[in-house]
Amino acid sequence: MKVFLIGAGQVGSTVVEALHVDHEVTVLDTEASRLQALTARFDVAVYEGDGTSRKDLAAAGIGAADLVIACTSRDEVNLVAGMFARREAPRAPTVIRTSSIEYVELWREGQLDVDFVVSSELETAYAISRIIGVPAASQTDVFADGQVQVGEFEIDEDASPEVVGVSLRDADIPQDSKVAAIIRRDETIFPGGDDVILHGDRIVVIGSPGAAKAWSSLLWPAGGTVRDVVVYGAGRVGSAIARVLIDQSINVRMIEASREQARRAAESFPSARVFSATGFDPDFIERERIGYAQAGIFAMRDDAKNLYAASLTRVHGIPFTIAIAHEAMSVDAFERAGIDVSVNPRGVTAEEIVRFAHDPRMQQVAMLEGNRYEVLDVTTRESSRYIGTSFRDMPVHGALIGAIVRDGKAIFPHGDDMLQAGDRVIVFTESANVSWVVEAL
Amino acid sequence: MPVASEAAARIGPPRRLAVDFPAAVNLVGMLGKYLGLAALFPVAVALWYGETIWPFVVAGAVTSGVGLALERLTAGARGRVGVREGFLVVAATWLLAASFAAIPYLLAGGEQLSSPIDAYFEGMSGFTTTGATVVTDYDELERSVNMWRQFTQWLGGMGIIVLAIAVLPRLRVGGRQVMESELPGPEIAQLSERIRATARSLWVLYVGLTALETLLLASLGWLGIDDAMTEFEALAHAFTTMPTGGFSTQPRSIEPFSPTAQWIIVVFMLLAGANFALMYRGFLRRRPRVFLRDEEFRLYLALAALASAALTAMLWGYGIAEGEEAVRSGVFQVVSIMTTTGYASTDFALWPSLLLLTLFALMFVGGSAGSTGGSIKVVRHLLLGKVLRREIDQTLSPEVVMPIRLNASPVDERTVRAIAAFILLYVGFWAVGSAILAIDSAITGSGLQTIDALGTAATALGNVGPGFGITGPMGSFAPLGDVSKLTLIGLMWVGRLEIVPVVVLLTRHYWRL
Repeated sequence: MKVFLIGAGQVGSTVVEALHVDHEVTVLDTEASRLQALTARFDVAVYEGDGTSRKDLAAAGIGAADLVIACTSRDEVNLVAGMFARREAPRAPTVIRTSSIEYVELWREGQLDVDFVVSSELETAYAISRIIGVPAASQTDVFADGQVQVGEFEIDEDASPEVVGVSLRDADIPQDSKVAAIIRRDETIFPGGDDVILHGDRIVVIGSPGAAKAWSSLLWPAGGTVRDVVVYGAGRVGSAIARVLIDQSINVRMIEASREQARRAAESFPSARVFSATGFDPDFIERERIGYAQAGIFAMRDDAKNLYAASLTRVHGIPFTIAIAHEAMSVDAFERAGIDVSVNPRGVTAEEIVRFAHDPRMQQVAMLEGNRYEVLDVTTRESSRYIGTSFRDMPVHGALIGAIVRDGKAIFPHGDDMLQAGDRVIVFTESANVSWVVEAL
Repeated sequence: MPVASEAAARIGPPRRLAVDFPAAVNLVGMLGKYLGLAALFPVAVALWYGETIWPFVVAGAVTSGVGLALERLTAGARGRVGVREGFLVVAATWLLAASFAAIPYLLAGGEQLSSPIDAYFEGMSGFTTTGATVVTDYDELERSVNMWRQFTQWLGGMGIIVLAIAVLPRLRVGGRQVMESELPGPEIAQLSERIRATARSLWVLYVGLTALETLLLASLGWLGIDDAMTEFEALAHAFTTMPTGGFSTQPRSIEPFSPTAQWIIVVFMLLAGANFALMYRGFLRRRPRVFLRDEEFRLYLALAALASAALTAMLWGYGIAEGEEAVRSGVFQVVSIMTTTGYASTDFALWPSLLLLTLFALMFVGGSAGSTGGSIKVVRHLLLGKVLRREIDQTLSPEVVMPIRLNASPVDERTVRAIAAFILLYVGFWAVGSAILAIDSAITGSGLQTIDALGTAATALGNVGPGFGITGPMGSFAPLGDVSKLTLIGLMWVGRLEIVPVVVLLTRHYWRL
């Protein structure tokens, strides 16, 4: 497939990294230095030009593209490029990146003539809301419009004996969920009824959102559901996070240094308590009992400030910290420094774009443990040899079906259920096996 | 040097006056010209009853004549009325209207209205829809003069609707934008089509409700339920209910009428004290849910219900009334005073002081913004309450940012400050007015108790009507001295214009550059 990419920034290069092996990628950017950096690492065609110039786009060969991705950091450029792509390559699906939630809403209402719109702010907010929802998980992803959740958990000493140290057949596993894998050191086990979860393992669970929460409380009994959160920063990212969390009736307190932004946040979120403060003042943190919050989210524009605020509030008693890492490098640094989870908005955005760029049969992919494992969302073909096979008789070959979506509803299959043509299946597999798994279905 | 002289000519002489006085006078003249036509109605009434028509003809002719003259004299200044001139126009129009109303009283009011101050008092009380009266002998007045009193209040109500929707919001007075739409354009003289359309639809509502009330009250007479309620009385009282006026053709206000008539009037007083823009959306656009969603309306009803319950309980407890009579008496007086109508179904001035204090407090509540009611108004109390709550909250957490909201949308901080300033000014005017009344009645020995001076000043400033003591609902303002009457005229005027437009006129920078 020929992929035409506008924008060679952080999102662009992450997308290139994921797509360059299987696809023929052309990248257009205004800055020669960025393009050079890209050609040095990957085998891609580059073109120096302006994404808002129809002439440049045509000259770079947009007309031959099978997929157009506009992912510069500027909304206007992406919109214009998307518009021209419609004209130059009418049959190629277009994906645009935006930082405005308004554009996402427009697109959902069908007012924007592109195939897919990704917002870093919104994707980041969703990622954080998933983490908040299942605090024991080190990573989670949702499929089928949120009906299916995939989570990776670490099994430590606190985990409940109901599920640890007993065979899965006898374990008290939450309803509507399945243990997709047990990862013990470097070994991956696709578990049957006789396998046992042990301390020090990591497990991957596929189940309903309710089941994911139940797993979270089984594995981290001390932590209840998160009801009270402090968000540092009320800019675009912070506001998007607050909106998503408030929608889940989580109590949100926001701290914003800029008066103007604090006022705007206070006006748009009547139920949030907004403070116009830097949040670094120990008197303030003490007086407002910031440390009593169950989780702190650090969404300021500056990574260094996020790291400092997270450490500071941790000292004051916030037990769980999530920080936004704008620089890809910061992710590791944050985690070394003791921040529980860090989210890179551009990374999340790139992942979302890559999901769309994959096989059109494949609705969604999630990557676990870097990209050692993948969770796929694939629609089964008529010709698949597993149609009509009951799950009891399904072979175990380094892949496991965690859920199926039939007529828009998620089903968590039992031994007697049978796979039907047209089912969407949520499959967990090692990355190495992806191609044959997709083929087999 | 020709160049220098050309520049000098262009620079011209210094201008002293900041306000475009001729333009303002021109607009007042134009309004006066049309206002004079209102005399046609009492002329028709006089003809119907075979009474003298010339007092009204004279009043109309003089008012229109003066208006026309003012307009002609300032003809060159047409169309430059902006926000600055708006204050002057509003203030002057009400003064002019009160004079217009006073002319027939002077000419046909007999002995009791023969003093110009008394006649002007009655005229101002009419056009500000207050309802305080110096009339003592109602039988002496001809029917046409009686109807004229009622009619001036009804006209005043129409003026207030325009004032509330078009003028005051532009002058940043009033506490809220009454309609959802922004009010466009800098010109108040040429009210934009949108405002005209709005005013027209609210007038339709106003006229419609007046007609409905007249019909309901008159039908009591036709059905024989209430023999005192003739067609004349029905119209006369509908004319003073909808503008929350309070004038009555009867010396004992609403007392002579049947309980059913009183209940009907309670309902219409409540409607008159509600936001007309809200009622327009609720009734004419058939969206009844707007009433439930409006914070001010909810508080307005809640306050009326609470005070009614309290007063009913007190009336019953003191043994003044019981059963339906206690409920009716409680509800009627509460609604009448709170909406600043000023009717009475009983002589409440004779009640024990606990009940009087309750009514006294209600004089400061007022109707809703965008209603014909006066006083501080419910929305200002509501917003002030929210400001106070925020202040308390910020004592503990100075960093917390809390926009003041009304019906979920944030209220501009300037508006919030203006409301606090209004309430302080209101209390200030009341205090000063009370002091003047108290001192004057001590000097003249008019019989107004010092304590009743407080209520009398509050009733004038709030455009309510009756006070306590000798100025009570069955009493009269006639015994007061001239200084007191002039003070009360001033309070009625200032109160009706929501204080600020008048105070602005007193500042140096309003007039001078």
